[in-house]
Amino acid sequence: MTANPPTPTIASNEAKEPSTMDVSVGPQHPGSGHVRLLMRVDGDYIVSIDPDIGYVHRGCEKIAEYRNYVSNIPHLERPCIIDAIHLNWAYVLPVEELQGVIVPPRGQYISTIAAEMNRIMSHLYWLAINAGVFSGHTTIFMWAFGDRDLFIELAEWLTGARLTYSFLPPGGPRRDFPSGFEQKLAKLLDYFEKRLVEYDRMFLSNPLVVARAKGIGVLKKKDAIKLGVTGPVLRGSGVEYDVRKVEPYGAYADLEFQIPTFKEGDSYSRYLVRFEEMKQSISIIRQALNKMPKGPIARKAPLVAPEGEAIGRVESSRGEITVMVIGDNSDKPYRVKIMNGSFRNLIALPYLIRNVHVADMPIIYGSLDYWPVEADR
Amino acid sequence: MSQKSTSREETIIEKAKSRFPEYIKETKIDNNRRVTISFDKDHVQEIAKWMRDDIGFDHLKGIAGVDYPTHKKLEVLYLAGSFSKPEIQDIIVTLKAELPKDAPTISSVVSIWESAHFHEREAFEMFGINFEGHPDLRKLLTLDNWDGPPPMLKDIKFPEMGQR
Repeated sequence: MTANPPTPTIASNEAKEPSTMDVSVGPQHPGSGHVRLLMRVDGDYIVSIDPDIGYVHRGCEKIAEYRNYVSNIPHLERPCIIDAIHLNWAYVLPVEELQGVIVPPRGQYISTIAAEMNRIMSHLYWLAINAGVFSGHTTIFMWAFGDRDLFIELAEWLTGARLTYSFLPPGGPRRDFPSGFEQKLAKLLDYFEKRLVEYDRMFLSNPLVVARAKGIGVLKKKDAIKLGVTGPVLRGSGVEYDVRKVEPYGAYADLEFQIPTFKEGDSYSRYLVRFEEMKQSISIIRQALNKMPKGPIARKAPLVAPEGEAIGRVESSRGEITVMVIGDNSDKPYRVKIMNGSFRNLIALPYLIRNVHVADMPIIYGSLDYWPVEADR
Repeated sequence: MSQKSTSREETIIEKAKSRFPEYIKETKIDNNRRVTISFDKDHVQEIAKWMRDDIGFDHLKGIAGVDYPTHKKLEVLYLAGSFSKPEIQDIIVTLKAELPKDAPTISSVVSIWESAHFHEREAFEMFGINFEGHPDLRKLLTLDNWDGPPPMLKDIKFPEMGQR
């Protein structure tokens, strides 16, 4: 190991007051992956934090240069296994653009439904761990995790895997719906819609949750724009920006949905954004099931991509994932660059966890839905 | 839609060319609302400031380094987008600068786009690009005891992963 001890530099820019103390939070697993937050505290107040990330860095972008286009899918979706479809899709979009492959309409609809199911699953994971457990609310943890499993079972039926689907190779999804899938999914949505009302009563309207999350970790609209945060964090600060609307991919152009935004910018408004997004996802899946076109689901895609660069993007559960793929006329990409929501939202951690109580830190951290593995890649 | 978006992209390029006639080297429009502007690396701050203040690209989505060992150059790509201007929200502008491989140095844009903070740190670590003026340029993702060359350079090979 090097002789340099890790020093919190955001704090080291300021003179260290004698009354302050440095505390290392992590790098054990705080619920979503290994990360260390170096906190400088003054009594019960956090003066500054320095996020020390990279504990789960595995060089995805480097590995991608050694694998061919299809073999890249499984390892590029691993960084955020609870949101695998979106990571997979974000990588496949630019590859398809380079290869000039157009996915048939039915394939687009299946991908869209799978992606929205994944959004619900990911938000339920957030609700269970990052919102529930971090605020000490064990009931919502049990409820949300239980209901998430119902979606996982359906996803397993559709794709063959519970979390790591590798469902969207270039050209379209791997499988069509099994017979009876649509009815089961529609039934589950009816059940889940009723459950959301109960979640609201148990969690969102719970005075303890409101007292802990409201007014905590306020990110103003102009700061959110300046810091370039994305996803529910951005929309919780009142910026109406969603890639599904801004640059529709898949079947989103045919479907009607709202972009939930809240002006307050605090942890509670980020909670609300995710709750409303789950309701929107239910509506999107229902519309897509009704409009489902017939026909082939996928086209054959070449194994080689020509020279050139393409940029694709999707709206994942944690925000926009932008992937740039540079091809060089071979079966392996010359360069893959992944810009995902967690890495972009990382800058909000030192910005928001400042001049707050130590006890507010898990609430703010949880409200950002930061996923360390996705950020580290 | 395509007619409209093409004209918007061309407007950005025309504005850039008339504002910085001598710095802009090459421009390109890709089919999918993507604009690429290659420019002289010494003027990154001027162009970034103009992009933010006059055109409305208020945030960076990421900074990508690309290594071209046969040309002995590195490229640094800034992917900029806009939240505040709905009419250009769907456009991604890629600002591209070439750096010599032996001394890859470019001015930091953190003072213009604060969102560049961690992206520049990552590019510094992975490609060894020195961003002059960055407030806190240090390693981010690799191990504390990693003292090898920047791992994303093409001459760093990992034979156990296969042929490239």
